[in-house]
Amino acid sequence: MKLTRSRSMRAIVVAVAAGSLALTGCSNDNGKKDNGKDGSAKKEDAAKQSKPVAYGDAAASTGPAKEVAGAQSGGTIGVYLQSDLSHLDPGQIYVSDAGQFSRLTHRKLTNFLEDKDGNLTVVGDIATDSGQSSNGGKTWTFTLKDGIKDDEGNEITSADVRHTIERMYSKVIFDGPSFVQTWLSGKDYRKKLPDGPYKGKHLPDDVLETPDDKTIVFHFDQPRPDLPQALAMAGYSIVPEKRDTKEKYDKAPAALGPYKIAERKPGKSLKMVKNPHWDPKTDVVRHQYVDGYDFTTTVEQASQTKRLVADQGEAKNFIQFTTSVDPGQIQDVVSDPEVNKRTIKGFQPYVWQMNFNLNKDVVKDKKVRDAITYAIPNKSMIGADGGKYGGELAGGLFAPTLPGYDPEYDPFEKSKTPMGNMKKAKELLKEAGVKEGTKITYAHANSPRAEKQKLIIKRTLEKLGFDPQLKSIDAATYYEQIGKVKNPYDLYITGWGQDWPSPGTVVTPVYDGDLISDGASNYSHINDPKVNELIQQALTEEPEVAAKTWEQAHHRIVEEINPAAPIYYAKQLQLFGSNIGGARYSTESSYVNINDLYLKKP
Amino acid sequence: MTSPVEAEDAQASTALDEETESKADGKETKGHTGRSPGQLMWARFKRDRTGVVCAWVVIAYFAIALLAPVISWLYGKDPYTLYALEPDYPFLLDDFEMPAGDLGGMSGEFWFGVEPVIGRDVFTMLLYGMRTSLFMAFIITFLSVATGVLIGMVSGFFGGKVDYWLGRTTDFFLAFPSQLFFIAFMPIVIALFVDPADETPTYLRAVAMVLVTWFLGWMGMARLVRSSVLSLREREFVEAAKVSGASRWRIVRKEILPNIVTPILVQGTYMLPSAILSIAFLSFVGVGFVEPTPDWGRMFAIGAQNYEQNPTYMFFPGIALFVFVLAFNLLGDSVRDAFDPKTGR
Amino acid sequence: MLQFLIRRLTGAVMIMFLIGAFTFFLFYTVPQDFAALSCGKNCTPENIAVIRENLGLDKPITTQFWEFMVGIVAGRDFAAGSCPAPCLGQSFASGEFVWDSIMDRFPLTLSLTIGGLVIFLFLGLASGLLAAWKRGTAVDKTVSGASMVLSSFQIYFLGPIVLGLLVYQTGWMENPKYHEFTEDPLAWAVGLLIPWAVMATIFVAQYTRMSRSTMIEQLQEEHVRTARAKGMGRKYVFFRYAWRGSLTPIVTIIGMDLSSLLAGGVVTEFTFDLAGIGRLAVESSVTKDLPLTMGVMMFGAFFILILNIIVDLCYAYIDPRVRLA
Repeated sequence: MKLTRSRSMRAIVVAVAAGSLALTGCSNDNGKKDNGKDGSAKKEDAAKQSKPVAYGDAAASTGPAKEVAGAQSGGTIGVYLQSDLSHLDPGQIYVSDAGQFSRLTHRKLTNFLEDKDGNLTVVGDIATDSGQSSNGGKTWTFTLKDGIKDDEGNEITSADVRHTIERMYSKVIFDGPSFVQTWLSGKDYRKKLPDGPYKGKHLPDDVLETPDDKTIVFHFDQPRPDLPQALAMAGYSIVPEKRDTKEKYDKAPAALGPYKIAERKPGKSLKMVKNPHWDPKTDVVRHQYVDGYDFTTTVEQASQTKRLVADQGEAKNFIQFTTSVDPGQIQDVVSDPEVNKRTIKGFQPYVWQMNFNLNKDVVKDKKVRDAITYAIPNKSMIGADGGKYGGELAGGLFAPTLPGYDPEYDPFEKSKTPMGNMKKAKELLKEAGVKEGTKITYAHANSPRAEKQKLIIKRTLEKLGFDPQLKSIDAATYYEQIGKVKNPYDLYITGWGQDWPSPGTVVTPVYDGDLISDGASNYSHINDPKVNELIQQALTEEPEVAAKTWEQAHHRIVEEINPAAPIYYAKQLQLFGSNIGGARYSTESSYVNINDLYLKKP
Repeated sequence: MTSPVEAEDAQASTALDEETESKADGKETKGHTGRSPGQLMWARFKRDRTGVVCAWVVIAYFAIALLAPVISWLYGKDPYTLYALEPDYPFLLDDFEMPAGDLGGMSGEFWFGVEPVIGRDVFTMLLYGMRTSLFMAFIITFLSVATGVLIGMVSGFFGGKVDYWLGRTTDFFLAFPSQLFFIAFMPIVIALFVDPADETPTYLRAVAMVLVTWFLGWMGMARLVRSSVLSLREREFVEAAKVSGASRWRIVRKEILPNIVTPILVQGTYMLPSAILSIAFLSFVGVGFVEPTPDWGRMFAIGAQNYEQNPTYMFFPGIALFVFVLAFNLLGDSVRDAFDPKTGR
Repeated sequence: MLQFLIRRLTGAVMIMFLIGAFTFFLFYTVPQDFAALSCGKNCTPENIAVIRENLGLDKPITTQFWEFMVGIVAGRDFAAGSCPAPCLGQSFASGEFVWDSIMDRFPLTLSLTIGGLVIFLFLGLASGLLAAWKRGTAVDKTVSGASMVLSSFQIYFLGPIVLGLLVYQTGWMENPKYHEFTEDPLAWAVGLLIPWAVMATIFVAQYTRMSRSTMIEQLQEEHVRTARAKGMGRKYVFFRYAWRGSLTPIVTIIGMDLSSLLAGGVVTEFTFDLAGIGRLAVESSVTKDLPLTMGVMMFGAFFILILNIIVDLCYAYIDPRVRLA
């Protein structure tokens, strides 16, 4: 029998694995800038841009969106995806592919507006501005714009906004973000409104209030300065009450944005057409240049790259949606100037790190953790992910896309010893008194990249005198398995990215000791009182002040505890066809700027 | 995962005629009295040049597989070291983590070049990979052939209820979509044996792979043997033996078995390369052998992904597999011809 | 005959039930939480509990199995709507009804199979018969040799090369794409031409070799030689007597190929980025989507079983010596 290739299936594995942690993160660098002879994005570029996000007023939130120079109307853009979108119901959307889709069809209370340099401003989307806070940041008021309609022409009111939030308390929703629910009703928020709004009950007015059709008020028990950014997540897109079909909504969501779903064949294709009820005057971010989008959800990474490099026939009108260039073909892409100019480059919000399971005796001693951190050959690890166009040596645990990122920060001197510092590592191990042949368990996903990286880790651990036990975990459940507090592994690699450009969405979920639980993302199980305290302090501070506190927490984590060895910052490299106009790296999504695209020859 | 094998089994299902065969044998044995059928077969086989060449090729493959450790010792490299990380070999890979030299980094030092990204030696990887695949395939083929012959014989010869139930059992196994079955059940078989925290030992993966492929590997042979036996059972010479009062066991041994040796052997010859492909399939989808166990199938599968960028990495394992499958298929034909000259070429 | 059919069909139904049971219960031996597979980033125990309840995983395994099996005959009701018979359940991962997903993918798989089959059957038999007719000549040697070489290739090897040549390098053809046959038959054929051709190139070899060797064998059978001795023309004997005798093995292999292709040509679909049953199958097992895996397994099994019965009927029809057992 003629056998299949692995690549295809692996591609799915990768997609699934990436999906589990890939989120609608935001990033702050300008990848378009070419830096000297090396065309890959540089972390210095990113640093220039990583400042806290500004909050826009009513003027900044008034549509229509600024025209893209040279934009044409008409035609249909093709979209390549490796596998189908995980969810269409906004309440369930946390991952990148669905998040990118959401930008075309859903609308939220707030949104990110990006200027041509990649600077971000939070503006009102269906709200008139980015929100008015009072009561020391504990109360937030939003007023809705006029003329916001869904694709059947129904006016959106504050009841729909309330419905959107309340339905996330019900069992219909289990996959989306839970920030706002938790802020409103605490960690076990589901108990406060067990059936959501579906049985006629609502949240009390001292939590969520709708004084009139146009106004919605959020009441919190402590200051929540990040609320406008949280509400800009795809997960908080508006679900009109009349249109909500509960579980079925995930198959056919209502459209508020410029495009609506015309036809969907799950796992195969998706056609989107113009939504006539979308009024450009109400939207300061989105455009409606093309007539529609045709998604093909079965094209693997390598094929996508090959088709776009060849740029033949219909491929000229295609874009990569959330997939990057195939690592094996990066050379072909960047060394051909004709192809290279059809790329977008920038950083992804993920920091790949080697987590130490602090519950395990082997890595209890900080000297052991430091030794392993020193020994890891970061450059080779990046090599397994596409080389210098795939990632950048990580000094700390803040990605270049995060406000407060410091390119000089490198406590383990990785830039001097990109292949690892064995001498120093061995000295530290000797001091720690680790015996030769100590067993150490390294868990990894069974994706092709992790399979290569595992060989590098195995070699490193062997050279250090450990007896490495390698444990391969199904990529589909990798994060779930290592996410268990009592998991039996000593070391595992994870990648985390911000939910919006604030260190709070990195330090809190990943390094807050109060949040250790099954399925939570504190994979190292770090529980340091000082760090916890700094987190609590920073969360209530205004962004400028908080930045200092976050930096302090970051340094404390990396230098004094070292729960996770920084390995590399992931990079973005995407291709598009030659007929696509207006394509640019989007700081907000870290993908192509889907809302500005047009066809040069429609 | 059955088709190429079936390519030949069908001809076995058309009955072989002992009479014609003995006539043909008679012609050839004129003047060479006293030679056994085995000797005759050997004599005929030796005259078939293609067959002999292929036999040598196949023997060479097995020899290389057996001697892989010796060869790699003489050559001075092994398939496990990540040479790109060794200080002795700087600049093996370029900025894109592809081999720095031309033709996949082929040189006097690395005969078949180096692996992209982590820089292992392709030559020794191929040697050891062939070793893994061939041995696994050998075991799977042996088990499948034995099971298939046993079930097919019993089923075909006894007929009636036994045949019905064995037939339904065979149907049950045949009804599994085999590729899906392999992907879905390999992890399950492994999970049945291993504690989640420990590394899955390589031998256990091997056992699981043998189990899964054997599980769905014997039915082709069973059906082939059954249908051959079924046709033979109706034949005059078997009827004659029955009438003359021969015991069942004797009929099986003396009348039926000799007549189905050819299809069994030929089928077996085709099953081996197919078993190799099955193992490769398992490795591709990430449920077979994992790194760092060298594996032939995984090598050319990975190589095929970027064959335009780095042709040599796919070329050597790919061509090695192509030649092996071709040689084995041709050898199968020659063996069949030698046993049964009437089909000829 | 009727009795044979009834018996075999009952057997087929039982086998499908057994395969379903086998898959279902073996899946549950794995220490794995299916609910965990459906939850994304926010995989807290609370969310897992919600998913478990949504998917019905909180019920006993036997109840779940029984509900699944009853659903095939009688249909089921889910939160996302009612699922008419034959209901193969609801996918854990996508929430789609399995039967709908399968029906959505099947036209492509069917098109690939039928198109490929027509080409490789026609070419294979024609070249095989030609070789047998011209046995021993240069024509025979060329055809046999070429088929032997081609049959040693693999789709994943030949596919990318053909794509590279015809699509990426020269731009002579578009990437393979599926169009509905009913909408645009020409686009349908053009879109699938490359996969058909590659499949045919590899499969054709088997049919060439098979038809050649069985023809040669048949020509030496006594009834054929007798017919020839009686003075019948070579052509007449060739196509009337020998041809019929050589059909049995060819029918066997067609049955095998058809069933394995209909159950999902994983390779072909992935090589050419097409979405058919094979891709669905692989996706389901990668994501451990039990209902989808069950659905595809049983769907594949259905074709394999039906084709087996048809093949056995053909045997009896072609060769009266084989009795329907």
